[in-house]
Amino acid sequence: MSHSDALVTINHFRMEFGNQTVISDLSFDIKKGETFGLLGANGSGKTTVIRALLGIYQPSAGELLINNKTYTVDSDIKLGYLPEERGLYKKETVMTVMTYFGRLKGMTKKAAVLWSLEYLERVGLAHKATTRLDKLSGGQQQKIQLGVTIMNNPELLILDEPTKGFDPVNRRLLMNIIEEHQRAGATVIFVTHQMEEVERLCDRIILLKDGTASAYGTIDHIKETYAGASLDDIFVSIYGDEPKAEEE
Amino acid sequence: MHNLHTVFSFEVTRTLKKKSFWITAFAFPVVISLVFGIIFFSNQATEQASVETKNQKFSFAYTDESQRINTQLASQLHATMLSNKQAGISQVKAGILDAYFYYPSDITTHKVEVYAKDVGLFDNNRYKATAEALLQQSTVATIPQETTAILQNKISYAATTYKDGVEYDGFKQLIAPGLFLVLFYILISMFGGQMLTSTTEEKENRVIEMILTTIQARTLIIGKILSLIVLALIQIVAIMIPLIIIYLQFGDRLSLPNIDLANLPLDPLRIAIGAGLFTLSFLLFTGLLVAVGAAMPTAKEASGFFGVIMVFIFGPLYAISLFVSAPQSQLVTFLSYFPLTAPIPLMLRNAVGNLSITEALTGIGVLGVSAIIILSLAIRLFRYGALEYSKRLSVSSLFVTKNNTPRR
Repeated sequence: MSHSDALVTINHFRMEFGNQTVISDLSFDIKKGETFGLLGANGSGKTTVIRALLGIYQPSAGELLINNKTYTVDSDIKLGYLPEERGLYKKETVMTVMTYFGRLKGMTKKAAVLWSLEYLERVGLAHKATTRLDKLSGGQQQKIQLGVTIMNNPELLILDEPTKGFDPVNRRLLMNIIEEHQRAGATVIFVTHQMEEVERLCDRIILLKDGTASAYGTIDHIKETYAGASLDDIFVSIYGDEPKAEEE
Repeated sequence: MHNLHTVFSFEVTRTLKKKSFWITAFAFPVVISLVFGIIFFSNQATEQASVETKNQKFSFAYTDESQRINTQLASQLHATMLSNKQAGISQVKAGILDAYFYYPSDITTHKVEVYAKDVGLFDNNRYKATAEALLQQSTVATIPQETTAILQNKISYAATTYKDGVEYDGFKQLIAPGLFLVLFYILISMFGGQMLTSTTEEKENRVIEMILTTIQARTLIIGKILSLIVLALIQIVAIMIPLIIIYLQFGDRLSLPNIDLANLPLDPLRIAIGAGLFTLSFLLFTGLLVAVGAAMPTAKEASGFFGVIMVFIFGPLYAISLFVSAPQSQLVTFLSYFPLTAPIPLMLRNAVGNLSITEALTGIGVLGVSAIIILSLAIRLFRYGALEYSKRLSVSSLFVTKNNTPRR
């Protein structure tokens, strides 16, 4: 499955950890500029797909391509990745960490500082620029992590449960920021359980179950398949009978 | 190169901002200064007390059955001679005399007896010192000056040794190449802990995924190692400057050995071998410490292995006499070529001059290959263990499991 306008192509991806098969056979693609929802119950393998796509895991079989190539840090694409497991250098100041990541993403120091100041102003944390990260609240740290993720205007933005731990105000702020990147032409992969967010942001979605795609397509198409049910109802109908696992 | 420089700058800058870095850097010279200060003031106080004791005048009498006391000398000290021991003791008891010394007929088998008025625990020493000085000076006056110098070990000797027909001072020769061994110990002792925990931070802070999708693991590890080397050098400078100042200002008062640095022999070949051995040894142990740290989920768990690694560094010191006296023994050969024990015997033997060129090159080869293997293993462990947030990574699992091995 490959399309000329696809930024991400996943073909017959299989992932095994020892004797356990997490993904059995998965194929889908994500077009340039679209916002794609990767959905599934806990333990369905969403994070595994992302980690394999980014080269953190080596797939047992199949290919996972970005711009028709296996991703490495030297790939010719600007990537913004907000992992599910979050954290930054807690003993460092906000500005030190943001500048560091900006530099690693290819920005000059000056550009990284200016961008960070602007971002902090926007998210109401300008006065915390010289504060150590471990002195910030959980929500404030999340904002910094999001800032680090979107530095240098990524072409591909991968957000693994980005609203986890956000209050409604910050959730709205996050949604606005994602929408801005959508408008700027970024491709967004959105891993979440929040169907409201999916309906608001995603063009297409895939629902993972038992290591394969249970549903794949536009939201309207999937709704039609399930006789016009809401995404919440579709989710419950697919996963409702499954015990909830804790890890992906 | 850009990312390597960024990692390097980040690691150096943030460490330099830490109070703990400067506390560690200055704790050593401060402790050394305190020790030297105590020695200095103690020497000064002892000297002063000695002068005061010498100048103190107290009345004393003596009885000399040994026939060794010079009466003229005793008179100069205003001492009076008594023929009766009991009378002397009685006069001290009555407070008529401050002290009374009794020299028995055979001073080799009987004690010289000192009776005196108590003037305090420390000041009471002046009586014995005076009795001793009177006997010594009386004896010295009866024998030739040269004999006195010989007996008092005041003769100076000048030894000249030759190697291959050329004048050779073994002690001075070992100073320059031996500095590499000292440097190695200082660096590992001061920075070993930091090397061990340098890679656990990313894991503990859950920042590893963002890092691994932004830069090469190799770049991160090398950047960290380079930063540790530079930080170690900064710390050494911070330690050495106060020590040099102390040496230059107070060296003569601290009875420190006076080394003529201007005439220190410098053997370019041994210094080059020393530098090579030091560099590779440092890389080998840095790699080992980083590898252990990368396999551990937390800094606390990693720290538990520090002692084990230190055994390899300090253990060979128990065979130090063998390295010098029996360099061709099987034990020394084994310790010289076993990678984890090799640094100490190789650097020490190079310093004392019993490491042949062939042995040095073999040692450099062993250390070089081992350093590359260990550093590669460290990078692999870091990449592979990146997402093992809560459990230790075994080296065997690196080679057995294939399914979730990172591909970068």
